[in-house]
Amino acid sequence: MSAARSENPAGAALAADTFRAEGWYKLRRLLGSWQGLTGMVLVTLFLVSAIFAPLLAPYDPNTLDIPARLSGPTWQHIAGTDQLGRDTFSRVLYGGRVALYVATIGITVSMIFGLLFGMLAGYGPPWLDNILLLLFDVIRSFPTIIIGLAAVALLGPSLNLILAIVIVTTIPAYARLVRTSTMALRNTEFVIAERSLGVTLGGILWRHILPNVIGPMFILAAMDVPVVVTVEAGLSFLGLGVLPPTASWGSILNEGYLLIRQTPWPIVAGGIPLVLTTLGFTFLGEALRDIFDPRLGKGR
Amino acid sequence: MAPLLQIRNLDVVFDTDRGPVRALRDVSFDVPRGKIVGVVGESGSGKSTVIWSVARLLSGNGRIVDGTILFDGRDLCDLAEPALRDFRGRQASIVFQDPMTSQIPVKSYRQQILDILYRNREQSRSQKIGHALAMMRRVGIPDPEQRIDQFPHQFSGGMRQRMGIAMALLMKPQLLMADEPTTALDVTMEAQIIHLLRSLQAEMRITIILVSHNLGLVAELCDEVVVMYAGEVVERGPIGAVYARPAHPYTQALIKSDPARLTERGRYLPTIPGDLPDLRLTHAGCIFAGRCPKAFDRCHHEKPAAHALADGHDARCHLLDPEQAAARALPASVTAPSPQHGAMPDNSGTQVSEPDALIRVRDLRVSFPGRGGLASLLPGGQPATIDVLVDVNLDLRPGETLGLVGESGSGKTTLGRCILGLVPASSGSITFRGRELTRLSEREFRPLRENMAMMFQDPVGSLSPRQSVRALMVEPLDVHRPKGFDRDAAALKLADMVNLPRELLSRYPHQLSGGQARRVGVARALALEPDLIIADEPTAGLDVSIQGEVLNLMRDLQIAHNLTYLIISHNLPVVRHISGRLAIIYLGRIVEQGDCETIFRRPAHPYTEALVNGIPQPDPEHRRTLISIEGEVPSVAVRPRGCEFHARCRYAQPRCREEPPAETILSDGRTICCHFPLTD
Amino acid sequence: MFLYLFKRIGLSIVIVLCALLALFLLLHLIPGNPATIALGPRATPEAIARYAEKMHLDEPVLVQFWIYLFNAVSGDLGVDVFSERSVTRIVLEALPSTLILAAVALFWAALLGIPLGCISAVRPNSWFDRVTGVLSVATIAIPSFLVSIWSLLVFAVILRWLPVIGAGEPGDLADQAYHLILPAFAVGLSWVGYLARMVRASMLEVMNETYIRAAHAFGLEPRTVVFRYALKVAILPTITLIGIGFGGLLSSALFAEIIFTRPGVGKLIYDMVMSRNFPVVQGAVLIITGVYVLINLGADLVVAWLDPRVRSSL
Repeated sequence: MSAARSENPAGAALAADTFRAEGWYKLRRLLGSWQGLTGMVLVTLFLVSAIFAPLLAPYDPNTLDIPARLSGPTWQHIAGTDQLGRDTFSRVLYGGRVALYVATIGITVSMIFGLLFGMLAGYGPPWLDNILLLLFDVIRSFPTIIIGLAAVALLGPSLNLILAIVIVTTIPAYARLVRTSTMALRNTEFVIAERSLGVTLGGILWRHILPNVIGPMFILAAMDVPVVVTVEAGLSFLGLGVLPPTASWGSILNEGYLLIRQTPWPIVAGGIPLVLTTLGFTFLGEALRDIFDPRLGKGR
Repeated sequence: MAPLLQIRNLDVVFDTDRGPVRALRDVSFDVPRGKIVGVVGESGSGKSTVIWSVARLLSGNGRIVDGTILFDGRDLCDLAEPALRDFRGRQASIVFQDPMTSQIPVKSYRQQILDILYRNREQSRSQKIGHALAMMRRVGIPDPEQRIDQFPHQFSGGMRQRMGIAMALLMKPQLLMADEPTTALDVTMEAQIIHLLRSLQAEMRITIILVSHNLGLVAELCDEVVVMYAGEVVERGPIGAVYARPAHPYTQALIKSDPARLTERGRYLPTIPGDLPDLRLTHAGCIFAGRCPKAFDRCHHEKPAAHALADGHDARCHLLDPEQAAARALPASVTAPSPQHGAMPDNSGTQVSEPDALIRVRDLRVSFPGRGGLASLLPGGQPATIDVLVDVNLDLRPGETLGLVGESGSGKTTLGRCILGLVPASSGSITFRGRELTRLSEREFRPLRENMAMMFQDPVGSLSPRQSVRALMVEPLDVHRPKGFDRDAAALKLADMVNLPRELLSRYPHQLSGGQARRVGVARALALEPDLIIADEPTAGLDVSIQGEVLNLMRDLQIAHNLTYLIISHNLPVVRHISGRLAIIYLGRIVEQGDCETIFRRPAHPYTEALVNGIPQPDPEHRRTLISIEGEVPSVAVRPRGCEFHARCRYAQPRCREEPPAETILSDGRTICCHFPLTD
Repeated sequence: MFLYLFKRIGLSIVIVLCALLALFLLLHLIPGNPATIALGPRATPEAIARYAEKMHLDEPVLVQFWIYLFNAVSGDLGVDVFSERSVTRIVLEALPSTLILAAVALFWAALLGIPLGCISAVRPNSWFDRVTGVLSVATIAIPSFLVSIWSLLVFAVILRWLPVIGAGEPGDLADQAYHLILPAFAVGLSWVGYLARMVRASMLEVMNETYIRAAHAFGLEPRTVVFRYALKVAILPTITLIGIGFGGLLSSALFAEIIFTRPGVGKLIYDMVMSRNFPVVQGAVLIITGVYVLINLGADLVVAWLDPRVRSSL
C-alpha cells in the first residue's frame, strides 16, 4: 500500500537528492555554527597547550622564584606566582597534561569496556542483561566523588586511582547507551534480514550493529570529557588526586584556596583553563549532537 | 448556494536546510456544502498539506505565500490567531491518520472532552458529559459511561479512531477534514469506519474533506474528487465522471495501476515510470511531463491551463486543449502492459503429489513467553505463554505462489520467519524437501539458507544502514560463497537483473527511494538463486505506481528462475493479483486454504467473506451497502473459546461457541476450519 | 501497580545490598591487615585491636560479612574508633544540613530552570531561547566546586557581602539562611542549566507530537496546550532526571560543604578521610547511597503515578 509517511513533502524531494557531499556539508555546518566553532577552537587550544606544554611554558613548573612569591600578573609571570614563587602560567600548562592524560586514557578505556558490556547486555540472553543492568545501576548509585573518597581513604591519593575511579564510574553510561541501541537494533528488520542470510553472530555485531552505535558514543565521549576533567580537578583540589609537586588544575586551585585571603590570582588562573576546557568540549559535543544525532542526549 | 470552502491559487512553501520546497502550487478547488470531497494523491503530492493549510496549522517551517482560502466568505489567510482558534474549534475539525499518536496519553477521555468543550460556558459539566456520552454512543463505542474515564492506551485502534471522530464532532463543526482516517487500521476495521463516516455525514449534514491515497476508499465515500500530483491539482470533478472518464494521463495511470481494479490474474500491472520532480526547482512546463507517456514538446515549456470537460469536471493537460486536437489522436495507452512477457506460470491447477512439496508445515505451534513469571501468578494475569501460531498446516509446492493473508496480529509474519528458523517453533514440524528444519541448530541451518531467502516488509529499514548498496547486494555471496567471485561484476549483474540504475551502487540505503530500496531487497533475495522466496508485505510502504513495478519484477524473476513464492500480506488485491493459492490466517490459525480464484469468488469461511467484501472497490458505481463484520481482532493473549471467530461471525451458532472446528477438506479441494462453511 | 512497586523496591534493596558488599570488599581485597588499612598508619595499636574485635576480623570473611550485614540492617554501622561514638548517630546528625542544602539548591534551580525551559521551547530560536541556551550550557559546563570557590572569592572575600564559613548560629534561622545563600547558589547553579535544557528538549519533542497538533486543531487556548498538555507530558522525563542527577547534586554539596566549611555529611566524609577513620567513611557513604536510592525510587514512583500508561500497565 502506498503510505502517507510525511505530510511535509520536503522529505520526499530530499530523498532523491545526491548525498555525495554529505560529509563536507556536515563539517561546514559544524564550523558554521558559532557553538561548533567555539568548541573546536577551545578544544584545539586545550590539546595544543597540553601536548606542547614543555615548549610553551616560560619556566619549569617546579622552579622556585622566592623573591617573586605571591606576585600578581607581571611581565615576568603573566599569571602570577604561588606561595613558593612557582610560575602559575607554566603550572597551568603542565596541569593541562594531567587533565588530557586522565581524559584520554579514562574515556578510551571506558568506551571499549562500555561497548563490550553494552553489546553483551543488548544482544546476549536476558539473564545476562539483567545482571549487567543491575551492576550498572549499582555503580550509578554511588555519587562519583564519594566513591573516590572512600577509595582514597583506603588506598591513599594517586593519579592512577583517579583514573580507575573515572573508568569504573563512566563505563555504565556508555554501556547503557550501547545496550539501548543494540536492543533496538536487534529486532529491526535489517538485523533479522542479516540473520536470514545466515550471517554469523560475530558478523552481525561487528558489521551491522557496531557501525550504528559507534557514532553516538563519540558524541557522548565529547560530552564526557568535562565530567572526567572535573572529577580529576575536584579530587586534586581536595588533595586526593595528584601528589605534590605535580601541577594539576585542581592542585593549583587548592593552593589558591588556602591563600584566598592573600591573593585571588591562583584561583582565577587555575579556574579559567578548567572552564574553557569544559565549555569547549560541551559546546563541541552539543554541536556534534545537533548535527549528527538530534535525538541523542535526552534521558541521560 | 456558495460552496462552503473555496481554495484559490494556494501556494505553500516549506523552508528546509537545503532550500525552500514549493509544496503546493496554484491549488484551487471548491468544497460544496454537505458533500464529501476526496483529495487523492501519492506520497509527496501535498494532499495533507492542503488540510493543514486550511486549518492554518502548517508545521513551523511551512508558510502560505499566496492564495486565498474562503470559508463561508471569510478568507482564513487573513484571520488573526484568536479568530482562527474559534474557526478551528467551532467550524472545522480534523480526524487524524493515526489514532495512536493523535490523542494525548496522559489525559482521560473525560478530561480531553471537557477541554474541547471549554467554549460552551452556558453548559454545565454534566451537560457536557451527557452530550459527549451521546456522541460516543453514536459512533459505536459500547459502555460509554465506563469508557469515558479511560485513557487512550486502554482503547484498541479501531475504538480510538471512533473516539477521534466523536471528539472531532463534539462542537458540531460544519467542516470535517479527515487525513487518511483508515490507513492505520485493518481491512475489516476500515470498512466499519467508512460506513460510520458516511452515515454521520448524512445525519449531521456536515461537509467532509477526505484525504487519502486509497482510490477505493475515495470511490466508496466521496461525491467529488480532487487528484493531486507533486503539489498541483491535475484533475477534479464529480466522482463518477473522474473514475469513468479520467482525462489527465496521471489520473488514468493511477486508476489503471490500482491492483484492486484488476480481477484476473497473470496480467502485468500498468506502472508510472520515473520519480517525483524535485520541488525545490521551478518547473516551467506541466509538472507531470517528466513521467507522462503522452508528453510532447509543449508540455515541457508551458504550464497547462485547466480545461473544462463537463459539469464541474476539469483537468490541467495540454491534450485537452481544443487546439491540440491532433495530439489527442496519439495512442492512448499508458505504459502499455508489456505483451512480450509470457503469462504467469500457473500450476495451481495441476495436482502436485504430496511428497513433492518444497515446504511442508505440520501442526506448527509457536508460543512466546507472556508478561513474565511473576505476572502470570497474579490473579487476572495473562497466561505464561501466548500462542501466536496454532495447528498450522501448509504445503508449498515448487514453482507456485502462495498468498498468506491476515490482519495485523494474525501471526502471518511469525509464520514466515519461523519457516526460516528466525523464530523457534514450539512444536510441530517444518520440512524443506523432506528435511526437518525445526530442530536444526543455526550452524546446521546455515547451508540451507542458500536455498531460502526472505524479502522484508520495510524496504529501507531492512537494509543495514551503514553498508553501501554494492556491499549489501553481494553480501549473500560473501556469506555463502566467500571465494571465487568478482564483487564488482556480481553487483553489476544483480543491479541489471532488478533494473536498478548502476550509479546507485555506491549509495547508502537512506539515500534510496522506497522502490529502489525494494529492488535492492529483491536482488539480495535472488543473489544465491534460491528455490524459495518468502516475501513479507512486498508492496508495503510503496505508492500504487511503484507497487506495479515491484510486482511485475517479481513475476519476471519467477518465470526466469522457477521460484516458489510465499507472499505474506494484508493487501488482498495485491495477493489476488499474484497468487495461485491462498491461505487465510486468523489469530494464528489458518482458517481457509485453497485456490485463489475460488476463494475470491466463493469464500467458504465467514472471515474470508468479510475480508473479500472489505476491499473498497475503485468504482463509485459499485458501492457496498453492508458491512459484513463487526468488532476487532481480539488479542492472541486471550483466545476465545470454541471457534475463535465466533464473536464476530454473522453466522455463528451455539455450537461455534463451544466446540473448536476441525480442519476439513471441501469437495473443491479447499481446507477450511468452520462448522458451517458457506459453500459445499 | 503492586507488581511494579514490588519490582522497583526490590531493585532498590538489591542496590543497597550491593553497595554494602562493595564497601566491605573494598577493605578486604586490599592486601594486608584490614584493621591497619582501615585506620591508617597513625592509628594506635589499641585502636587497631578494638577495630579488629568489633569487626570480628578473626572470623572467616563470610562470617564477617554476615555480621556486618546484620548490623547494618539493624542500624548499627559500627563505632568511630577514636571517639567511640556510634557511626549511625554521627552521620544522621550531619545529614539534615546536607539535605537542606541539596533541597534548597534544587528548589531555586527548579523555580528558575523549568520556566526558562518552557519559555525557550515555546519560542524556539528566539533571542531569549539563544541566550538561555548559551547560559544553560555554560552553567552545566562550569564545575560546581569552581563556582563555589569563585563565588566565595567574589561575594565573601572581595565584596564581603556574605559570610565566608560555617552554617550560622544554631537556632538562629535568619543567620542560618544567610549562611545558606552562597552554598545553595553554587550547588544549584548548574541545575538551572540542566533543568532548562531538559525541559526545553522534552517540551520541543512533545510539541512536535501529533496530539499537540490535535489540541490546536480543536481550537484550545495556547496556554492550555502548553501548560496542561505539553508540560504535563514533558515534565515526566524531567522528574526522572532529577532523581538520577541527585547523585551529582550530593557531590556538589560535598564540595560546597568543604569549601564553605559547613557541617554536613560531605564535610564529615572529607574530614574522616583525612584522619583515616574508615568506619565513619564507610557508614556515611552507605547512608548517602541509601538516600540517593530512595530519591530515585521516589522519582520513579512519582512518574509512575503521574503517567497513566505506566500506572495501568503495572
